[in-house]
Amino acid sequence: MRKDQEYKCNHSIEYVVGCEKSLREIIREDEMMPLLKGAVRAGAAAVKIVDSEGGILWEYVDTLNKGVFSEKLPLHLEGEIAGHIVIKGEKETNLKGLSELLLYTVKIVMNNNLKRMLTAEIHTTVVNQSYEELLETNRRLKISEKKYRELAGSLEKKVQERTEELKMANVKLIQQEKMASIGQLAAGVAHEINNPMGFISSNIGTFRSYAESLVEFINAQSEIIESFNPTDAIEGLKEKRERLKLDYILEDIKELIKESLEGADRVKKIVSGLKGFSHIDEGDKAIIDINEEIERTLHVLTHEIPEDAEIIRDFHSLPGFTCNPAVLCQVFLNIILNSIQARKKGLKFVIRTGCEDEIIRITFSDNGPGIPKEIRNRIFEPFFTTKEIGKGTGMGLTVVYEVIDAYSGSIDVESQPGKGTTFNIVLPLGKNAKIR
Amino acid sequence: MIEYDEIENRMVLKLVYYGPSFSGKTSNLLSLHDILDREGRGDLMVLDTKDDRTIFFDLLPFFLTAPSGLKIKLKVYTVPGQVKHDATRKAVLQRADGVAFIADSQISEETNNFESFKNLENSLTFVGLSIEKIPLVIQFNKGDLHNIISEVDIGRVWKPTGIPIFLASALYGWGIVETFSKLVGLTYDYIDKRYRLKQDHGLDIETFVQKLTCRSEEREQGGNG
Ligand SMILES: Nc1nc2c(ncn2[C@@H]2O[C@H](COP(=O)(O)OP(=O)(O)O)[C@@H](O)[C@H]2O)c(=O)[nH]1
Ligand SMILES: Nc1ncnc2c1ncn2[C@@H]1O[C@H](COP(=O)(O)OP(=O)(O)O)[C@@H](O)[C@H]1O
Ligand SMILES: [Mg+2]
Ligand SMILES: [Mg+2]
Repeated sequence: MRKDQEYKCNHSIEYVVGCEKSLREIIREDEMMPLLKGAVRAGAAAVKIVDSEGGILWEYVDTLNKGVFSEKLPLHLEGEIAGHIVIKGEKETNLKGLSELLLYTVKIVMNNNLKRMLTAEIHTTVVNQSYEELLETNRRLKISEKKYRELAGSLEKKVQERTEELKMANVKLIQQEKMASIGQLAAGVAHEINNPMGFISSNIGTFRSYAESLVEFINAQSEIIESFNPTDAIEGLKEKRERLKLDYILEDIKELIKESLEGADRVKKIVSGLKGFSHIDEGDKAIIDINEEIERTLHVLTHEIPEDAEIIRDFHSLPGFTCNPAVLCQVFLNIILNSIQARKKGLKFVIRTGCEDEIIRITFSDNGPGIPKEIRNRIFEPFFTTKEIGKGTGMGLTVVYEVIDAYSGSIDVESQPGKGTTFNIVLPLGKNAKIR
Repeated sequence: MIEYDEIENRMVLKLVYYGPSFSGKTSNLLSLHDILDREGRGDLMVLDTKDDRTIFFDLLPFFLTAPSGLKIKLKVYTVPGQVKHDATRKAVLQRADGVAFIADSQISEETNNFESFKNLENSLTFVGLSIEKIPLVIQFNKGDLHNIISEVDIGRVWKPTGIPIFLASALYGWGIVETFSKLVGLTYDYIDKRYRLKQDHGLDIETFVQKLTCRSEEREQGGNG
């Protein structure tokens, strides 16, 4: 192994920093000659560079010019005298300056060449060595690549697992939200169903006693007819009919049945409204009078509204509004319920409606405790509630918001803590953009 | 060894100042250049100028002649400390006759020292030299600073290697010649084994070291006295 390494090493680093170099190895002919020529043109008769033994390395002579004086300067390389510059000429003063200039220039060329050579040679070494190292690096990379690929494989699996988990959690959350809003809706609907069902059952109760009267009357009729005494019978019948207020009953039966049927019909609509909630915009459309719908909602809430509550209706006639009535009632119901819950005693509740410039405005105001500023921008958030568990779901105003939004309307809240709360609803006519 | 020419009676040796970046290798040579006598040495060639980052080392040449007439040229090089110049370091280490490892005494540099030393070991192996055999000294430079590794700690960590250790400050010039002297002495022993400097050339270790490490003021004093 070690032998191997040594072998490899001997082959990968060829360049040795520090190898001795001669002047000829450092400076090229074509670099030196222009310098010598230049010196001659500047007035020298002959210029030459000799090595440390005196042998001529480079020389340039002006044949016309015979120099009498000469100047000799040593050329140092790595602290040693590597050679000399010898310059001849006619004037001594001139020569000294020229030789110094030449020496200086040659030194610069030499130094630069030295640097360049070292760089170039080291560069070659680097390239060679880099190749060796690259092979080694490559080998190591392959090993680690395998490791990382395995790791990456399991990582991908982990990411997938997590993604799956997240998806599940998200689906669950959406589901929860849906369930909650449906639950809220069901609660609201339960109110609505309860009330018509209330008058349905009470009407039917009345109807039962009416029916009892009818049965009694018919039975009496039968008895009388059975006695074969027509005159007595007619009198008896008359008397009985009066006593049982049959004329009134016969009249009221029609009304009762009509009312019961209406109630049942509404139950049907509410249930279908419940089904259609998730598709507010697709629900059964009808042209309704919002004043009537508010009235209907108040009627439904009769049992919830405290007896001492004062409800002020400031209704102005409204054009027909195309919507799903059950859903719109849900809006009114949620808002009215909140006010009822906000103040049990001495509630003064003002409902104002009006229409101007194709826009219906509805305002609900109470004299309840109001909504603190800090939470005012949160009340429309799903599940936001200040009520105790079981009492509030925090979905009421969320549903309100969604419905109004679905009808391209808007809702805002004004509240003065301690004084009351006002909800302003704006519903544009005609351009119910989101409604198909 | 760079060169041994029996006909020309000439020997060229190479010493290398190795170590992490900024530990003070160049400063060591500058300091030697300042302290040591002109006679025995050439000028410091600092190729590593600020604008010229392509050449990566400095050179301080020394000269002496043995009684036999053998001319000895000793080239002292620094290597570039930066990790990226690994190839240059190897080219400089190639055929070196001795190494001074210049460590930075600052506590913060401890890891760099270790890494550089490991790098030296690898590089030597790479160029076919052995850290066990090559003349080697360690210098903890920048001893003048405050937050430095204590002498005790240095000893605890490095003494077991058996490598001579010197505390120094290239900035103030102490410990520098001592480091160099030791390295030169070890190098003599190393060379003497093969080239019989004493036997064949009449050059003993004391003369060798003394000639290479003659301080300027010593000569002045000698001249005066
Ligand atoms: N305080 C102090 N600073 C030093 C010492 N030696 C070198 N330095 C500084 O450390 C820096 C790097 O020095 P240099 O010789 O260029 O390091 P190289 O990269 O190893 O050649 C320079 O700023 C020097 O001034 C020393 O002994 N003491
Ligand atoms: N008329 C109001 N007066 C005072 N606070 C109200 C009124 N209407 C809504 N709020 C506040 O807004 C919150 C959210 O209302 P809502 O979405 O209907 O949820 P919930 O009634 O289930 O709490 C309520 O908990 C309450 O704090
Ligand atoms: Mg509510
Ligand atoms: Mg340096």
